[in-house]
Amino acid sequence: MNRSGSFWTVAGAACAIMLVVLWAFPLLWALSTSLRPELETVSSQFHWLPQAWTLEAYRKTLGAGNVVRWLFNSFVVALLVTVVTMAISLMAAYAFSQLRFRGRGIVFGVAMLGFLLPFEALLVPLFRTMHQLGLVNSYAGIVLPQVVAPVVIYVFKQFFDAIPADFREAAVMDGAGPLRVLWSVYLPISGNIVWAMAIVTFIAAWNNFLWPFIIVTSNDMMTIPLGLTQTYDAFGVRYAQLMAAALLGALPVALAYVLFQRRVTQGFLAASGLKG
Amino acid sequence: MASVRLRGIRKTYGDNPVIKGIDLDIEDGRFVVFVGPSGCGKSTLLRMIAGLEDITDGTLELGGIVSNTVEPSRRGIAMVFQSYALYPHMTVAENMGFALKLAKVPRPEIAQRVRHAAEILQIAHLLDRKPKALSGGQRQRVAIGRAIVRKPEVFLFDEPLSNLDAALRAQTRVELARLHKELKATMIYVTHDQVEAMTLGEEIVVFNAGRIEQAGTPLELYERPANLFVAGFLGSPRMNAFPATLAGHAGGLAAVRVPGGGLVQVAADASLAGSGAALTLGVRSEHLRLDAGLDAGGIPGRLALVEYLGDVTLAYVQVEGVDGMVAAKCPPDVPLPSPGSVVRLRFDPARAWLFDAQGAALPALRDAVRLTG
Repeated sequence: MNRSGSFWTVAGAACAIMLVVLWAFPLLWALSTSLRPELETVSSQFHWLPQAWTLEAYRKTLGAGNVVRWLFNSFVVALLVTVVTMAISLMAAYAFSQLRFRGRGIVFGVAMLGFLLPFEALLVPLFRTMHQLGLVNSYAGIVLPQVVAPVVIYVFKQFFDAIPADFREAAVMDGAGPLRVLWSVYLPISGNIVWAMAIVTFIAAWNNFLWPFIIVTSNDMMTIPLGLTQTYDAFGVRYAQLMAAALLGALPVALAYVLFQRRVTQGFLAASGLKG
Repeated sequence: MASVRLRGIRKTYGDNPVIKGIDLDIEDGRFVVFVGPSGCGKSTLLRMIAGLEDITDGTLELGGIVSNTVEPSRRGIAMVFQSYALYPHMTVAENMGFALKLAKVPRPEIAQRVRHAAEILQIAHLLDRKPKALSGGQRQRVAIGRAIVRKPEVFLFDEPLSNLDAALRAQTRVELARLHKELKATMIYVTHDQVEAMTLGEEIVVFNAGRIEQAGTPLELYERPANLFVAGFLGSPRMNAFPATLAGHAGGLAAVRVPGGGLVQVAADASLAGSGAALTLGVRSEHLRLDAGLDAGGIPGRLALVEYLGDVTLAYVQVEGVDGMVAAKCPPDVPLPSPGSVVRLRFDPARAWLFDAQGAALPALRDAVRLTG
């Protein structure tokens, strides 16, 4: 490598490290804050690290309020949203990609119109519908409006379009119906992209604040992002507990991402066509 | 096993006709090859028989039962795809047993049938492998094995050898022929390779532009092509075609004027064509003799190129009025004039064909010539 190439490599690495520090700083600061006594968090003296290390904020967070219940709710909601979204999107994408039926293009176009509608614009009609169905303060009420995901359908359709039709036809000759072809052939072939979309959907559902904020009024049905606002209200400005609750809320999602990181990356690479 | 009967089969995509009325009877247990250039409709017809394409019009009978709308899996048909279409996430055994699993065949029977098929194809040692761990030839065998385990009444092959190298293709051709003898099943095989068609088929059906040009045994098609298309499609190098004019006919021989102005005789019945009619003279490369152009007669030309292939020598001759080169197969041990020399192409009148202006073959009278000659 020549001198100029070496300079740019070092400069690139330095930029990357700077970006990592910028990205990680709020997280590390939240962690540092959550490990301080409440009094130290409002101290006028600045310290990078806690002067007195304590897990008191975590103990109080888990003991007070309803954090465990909110974590459970978030898990149930994110899991249901993920499973139902995957099921609906996979079937829709398979139909749009592989089945020939009258009006296919129009139906697909209508499905993709969802891209153009901001969720906020649908809040009122969705709330009215859920209210009329008696689904306010229920898992179904939180989950159902979140399971329509045009972007997931689009990604799956693009992926299915790239799978040679011979696989479907061979399966049809073998006696498989559309659902069996999807389940036994297309799904395993698309494993990585399905995992990637599932993780992304799970994270989005876990972090969703707006819809649960509208549809949930009962403390017991709150999800963790919603519950965090209650923690704030209950304890005033208690930064250590707030940071502890935020980190506890983000932990399962971070763990899920770390566990499935490889599949997510492979999935996106496969979907982008960089790697088959 | 089952016969296949096609009556008035048509297929259109929108306003575009792809199959333009096919009538064909395939007897039980026959090995029939559909051959033709790309886009002629042979694969589409195969897919219609398989049930992967709807039939726009006409009747398809399998084993005497009208099957136009029968589900593909209920037609008693198995298909080997050009790409093999092996499910990449399944092992060889799972690939082969998938259809039986869907049919809810008991596991021990699936295992037994898979093993039996694997032994026939000599792939029993590969049963636990995934397709990506197999060579092209092995994948091709697995694809055939997947068809065999279903015990179908009709096998369909859609250009199954096109992804193999030349040596493996030749070997697999022999194995397919053996397999047909062993299974005694009706087999329909699509290819655009005329060597595969000639070597594998008990019967060949030549397609062109959505229609059948001719059907018959390989020898019939080679010896008695119905038209210029079939004559040109079967045989390598393709049959040489010379523009000719009918000069007269007598005693089972037609006299035609050929490029260079000479008269040559052909054993064909030209009685229906008027004198002076524009014809095409067809002579296969192996029936052309080449000599130094000192004597009169034959078709004059200039030797352009010589290819020594070991068992045969191919001489390419430029003939005035003929598009492209005329190919002549010569024995390897006979010395040829040097390229650029004037040569004359000669042939046995019983080894040439005449085609009318529409490309239809005039009736050959070879037997009469042989008897009298």
